Amino acid sequence: MQTHKAKYIDKVNYYEGIITEVHDGSVALDIKGRLGSIRIPKRMIISDYELKVGQEVAFNMSFIEQISN
Amino acid sequence: MSISAEYAQEHLNDPAVLCCRREAGTQLSHHDLEDPAIFDDLVSSGLLKLDGALTIGQVMGSTLTKTLDSLNPILKDCVDKVQEAAASAVAPAATPTAPAAASSVTQSFSGGKLKIHIGEGKGIDLEIPMGLGGGVASSGAAGAVAGGASAEGSAAVGAEKVVRTLTRKHFNITEVKRGKETKIDGTTLYIREGIEKEAVESQELVHDLKVDIITKDNYHIYSETIMDTQPIATKEGDSELGTGVTRVLDNVVMMLTGTTDEGVQIGEFGSSEGYLDENVMWNRPSCPDHGDIIIRGTVKIENLKNMERPGPLAAHKAFDVITQEIRLALKELDEKYCVSKEEFKQVRRPGKKKVALVKEIMGQGAMHDNLILPVEPVGILGAHPNVDLCNVPVVCSPLEVLDGCIHALTCIGPASKEQSRHYWREPMVLEMLFDEEIDFAGVIFVGSPQINSEKFYVSKRVGMTCEAMDVEGAIVTTEGFGNNHVDFVSHIEQIGMRGIKVVGMSFCAKQGALVVGNKYVTAMVDNNKSEAGIENEILGNNTLCPEDAVRAIMMLKAEMTGEPIKKPEKEWNPNVKSQNIELISSVTGKPVELVKNEKSLPMSDKYKKKYANA
Repeated sequence: MQTHKAKYIDKVNYYEGIITEVHDGSVALDIKGRLGSIRIPKRMIISDYELKVGQEVAFNMSFIEQISN
Repeated sequence: MSISAEYAQEHLNDPAVLCCRREAGTQLSHHDLEDPAIFDDLVSSGLLKLDGALTIGQVMGSTLTKTLDSLNPILKDCVDKVQEAAASAVAPAATPTAPAAASSVTQSFSGGKLKIHIGEGKGIDLEIPMGLGGGVASSGAAGAVAGGASAEGSAAVGAEKVVRTLTRKHFNITEVKRGKETKIDGTTLYIREGIEKEAVESQELVHDLKVDIITKDNYHIYSETIMDTQPIATKEGDSELGTGVTRVLDNVVMMLTGTTDEGVQIGEFGSSEGYLDENVMWNRPSCPDHGDIIIRGTVKIENLKNMERPGPLAAHKAFDVITQEIRLALKELDEKYCVSKEEFKQVRRPGKKKVALVKEIMGQGAMHDNLILPVEPVGILGAHPNVDLCNVPVVCSPLEVLDGCIHALTCIGPASKEQSRHYWREPMVLEMLFDEEIDFAGVIFVGSPQINSEKFYVSKRVGMTCEAMDVEGAIVTTEGFGNNHVDFVSHIEQIGMRGIKVVGMSFCAKQGALVVGNKYVTAMVDNNKSEAGIENEILGNNTLCPEDAVRAIMMLKAEMTGEPIKKPEKEWNPNVKSQNIELISSVTGKPVELVKNEKSLPMSDKYKKKYANA
């Protein structure tokens, strides 16, 4: 429903980041290029190895659009 | 790119499109055809039109009469003849991100004895004597030969065997009060004043605990995030969990909520804090029923411990101090107050299709954990966290599940998490337990670890467990979405590759679409109930309900009798569910009642801000 309100979400960019915190339930990461930080639940990150601070991660993301007036 | 001969055989009914330029006079084979898997994208981007395209089965062996470029669909006037092997024209796609039970192919077989194949035809009626040996009598899914084929061949149909029974004695509660001691006086439950102090002292990480009693009249009350909803039940005498007699209090539930000292919700990401009446989807298997008296505990735990394993566990342990005291009072309650008895029988039906239920539970840590097999229903004592068990499969009897063998610390995603009460009345277990057409072997719980290698480790054990149990079909369920879908799909693969028919159940819809897949993920039931197909933070909204259980079991039966499941549509389409529900109702003659969704609740400010921005 909401996705229809965003106009540019199919313009997906590739980002990399560095893990800064690892907890039993969550992981925090800084996006490379000083583009901000994200904190996510652990189940939202797919990992081949045990998660550790300093590891690199990658993801695709669109720019964030304002959808309210 | 061309496809393999084997792949072409699997896709005989898919449209035939050239993979490369081919000259007139070419005799068509799999070498000339494009992979149908990529057509959806090409069609949606306007690069390909499939109108009037013949199917792969219709063109294999035919000769091109025109020279055509790559990515051209093969039409009737482009070939010398249309082969008769497959059904005519491109079948309209039908099923969603979560495919569904629907079939139209005139083929049905069972048990390796009866095999019917009709290439093409109209108005064919087949009558096959029923009861050739039990088996699945009705597949449910409408097909030209739906049902009927129940021949089990030489499979011996033994006598039904009752393995164990469980009796639930219900005691009604009409009022909950605070008092000098914890006791039950008729239908009034008294909770001891000051019990909170003992509960807090029992756990180092718990700094505060408040108990309040919420009745129907004041459901419009603020609550911190709901960590769990639990039944109040206890074993009678020496009965072990899953057998004997269990006493349960009706119309009252325990609800655990909480934050850290500084007010961060335990469960942080996607929490259900807010007014109860706006954030709880009443009457879901895992939730309080509308009208239940809620004994709510609000805990405060040490800062920063909300995302560490000991934090949520300590909150559950402290709250259980109170529940345990009520359990002891319930044990003492006079039998005369028992208002009804319910008896569950675990029946094995040798000769019928043997099936298992695989339930994936969370095991990444913190609140993503479950305590398995406590001594008391949904208790703490005696249970082991599945994280400590390395998330390996644990087989439980269906009656152990219904007797509260899972104390859920409940994961994030309020809408899709299965709280402890869910297992107490798990619709999938109930549906399979009472189904006389199948032999329900047991419930396999498997945790979902964080790391991929561990995920594959446990899913291989799931496959091996199913193999050793010698089941013919399995239903795999999971809660929530995220990396747990990696192992969820792997469980399906491990089961499917052993020739066992398998149906998956998960919240998928728009937001939780599967991130991975394999060729065994062909039958899926979507647990979504939300209007927009999202995790809407309404407690229990997208959890497994009877309407999902009935679809899953019908789909599994259809698969086990050899009926194909239609391909999913490219995008999530809620209509597929309604079509399947209609189909099931028309075949069984019983209406399937659909549960309400978030639209039936007063809209919260939080929801308005987050989701209803119009």
